[in-house]
Amino acid sequence: MKSPSDVAFSAIQRTALHTASLLVPAAEREDWSSEWLSELWHVRSSYVRIDETISIQSQGEITWFCLGSFSDALCVRELSVKSGHRSPHMHGSAAQSLLWLSAILLLCFLITSLLPGLRAEREAAQFVINPNALLISEAAGHSSKPSIPAGLYLNWKYTRQRYFQDLAFYHVTRETAQSGSARVTWKVARSSTNLFSLLGVPLKYAFDDNSGLPSIILSHEVWMRSFAGNPNVTGKVLRIAHGNARIAGVAPAAAWRLPGAPDIWLLQADTQIATDLPFRTPGYLIAQLSPRGQDAMLRDDNGISARNLEDLLIDLSATPINAPVEGLWNLYGFALFLALVALPAVSSVSLGETHLTPHRASSRESIRRFFFLGCKFVLIAGIGLFASCDIAYCYTSSFSPAAECLQLISCFAICLIGFRWALADQRHRCPVCLRRVTNPASVGLASRTFLGWNGTEMICMGGHTLLHVPSLPTSWFSDQRWLYLDSSWQFLFADSSVG
Amino acid sequence: MAAEAKLSHTAAMILQAISAGYVYGFSIMEVTGLPSGTVYPAMRRLERDDLIRSQWERQSIADAEQRPPRKYYKLTTAGRSTLDASRKRYPLLERLMPTEEARSL
Repeated sequence: MKSPSDVAFSAIQRTALHTASLLVPAAEREDWSSEWLSELWHVRSSYVRIDETISIQSQGEITWFCLGSFSDALCVRELSVKSGHRSPHMHGSAAQSLLWLSAILLLCFLITSLLPGLRAEREAAQFVINPNALLISEAAGHSSKPSIPAGLYLNWKYTRQRYFQDLAFYHVTRETAQSGSARVTWKVARSSTNLFSLLGVPLKYAFDDNSGLPSIILSHEVWMRSFAGNPNVTGKVLRIAHGNARIAGVAPAAAWRLPGAPDIWLLQADTQIATDLPFRTPGYLIAQLSPRGQDAMLRDDNGISARNLEDLLIDLSATPINAPVEGLWNLYGFALFLALVALPAVSSVSLGETHLTPHRASSRESIRRFFFLGCKFVLIAGIGLFASCDIAYCYTSSFSPAAECLQLISCFAICLIGFRWALADQRHRCPVCLRRVTNPASVGLASRTFLGWNGTEMICMGGHTLLHVPSLPTSWFSDQRWLYLDSSWQFLFADSSVG
Repeated sequence: MAAEAKLSHTAAMILQAISAGYVYGFSIMEVTGLPSGTVYPAMRRLERDDLIRSQWERQSIADAEQRPPRKYYKLTTAGRSTLDASRKRYPLLERLMPTEEARSL
């Protein structure tokens, strides 16, 4: 009885041979496989011990022997190509077409899986900021500009408020940061420690620091740009302005939507904010509204009133922070839908069938044709998805609305052009064997259109059909026509067995 | 191929091995010490150049010995001429693997 390792090795060796055989041209594959399987049997026999088992070391040598089959298969393939012998079964066939599309799809997928920007986009689409957290600004000002003084924030935070349940604040300045010998200038947001918890933002690679140093949160862009996306960066100490601070985490890609576009956040206790920032320094205020505040917002069209430092009533407006992120699949679905809708505008959706021929395709032939067309559409749609992501995110390592826009446009263009090609390709494929018709021959003269037919004739190399394509569609010959060849033609074709 | 055609040492070793009576891929590997990834592609090229010819063993012989049939290789006339030329070029070749005739002496 064979041991489990014998069975496993035998399976690996046979799989290696079968995989290598796929590289051999189809016409020579059977002979090639028989030779290698026979040689494998003899190799294994030569290594069998008295107890009818094979040692692990010998199994390794046998496996190494099998791996040599790849080199042999490539050699057979190369010789076949050099001798000008191309497999007639593959040339221009449906299988070849699908293999090419699959290879392109695989290549696009592999590129997609390596792009960091796409991961950021997916993260941004999944990421949802606390819907009750709103950006509060003075109604007279613009929400993208800082309008709430630090002193007012502290005043509101430590006095009982009707409308606000919790408040967070940040102020953006340009500061020089130093890590080792490298010095960079970043937009640093000095913010209250509760900013991220109020926003409901889960930090990546969060680091629990007990050293008492202030914490820094890196934006996704800075993390990618300055730290090459290194996950071990948290815990590192940087010198910001005149003090040290420790990196405590990385904000997810979507955090860019906070106004001021900070590169890093320096989290400080409110006492430190009161010390570091002058009382009237304007900053951004994020608030979680109380139920009463929400009611007031609904009642007064996103506006509430509160008292300022001078005890005067000021109007405040509240803006949701969550900008809509379309997400990869939503954009893809929309682009695909648009491409399908636009397809009839750029190409005839007819497959060039004419009812004038007495030949009626069998249901098997029809199913095969439509299955092939369906496979092409599915593969092109897949290529559209991955290739558009590759185009959109090849230059950017983080989420950006421009990349989303580029993805939408490129996906639409790839799908539309691809579907158009799929239909055009289908019209030039023999309905019997699905190979492309070849050897175009010009027939007739355009100047004699009213006297006789003129156009192009193409023939299926399997000897099944002849395709007539009119060069000038007329009322009596407007569309291409298939002429099905009977068996009397077969002797002319070397590859008539196909189909 | 011309009898004077110059073969690589590997190809000459394989021709010498076939001439010496090692007519299967694996037996050529064993006697030359070359890996399968070298021996089989070299044999394809030798066959393309009409220096060797392959033939499948008869099924009845394989059935009698309860094993799968093997493909064996033998030298063509052009292959013999090329091997003679190669022996002059690589004098140690014959000593590595004496031919059947030499062994029978």
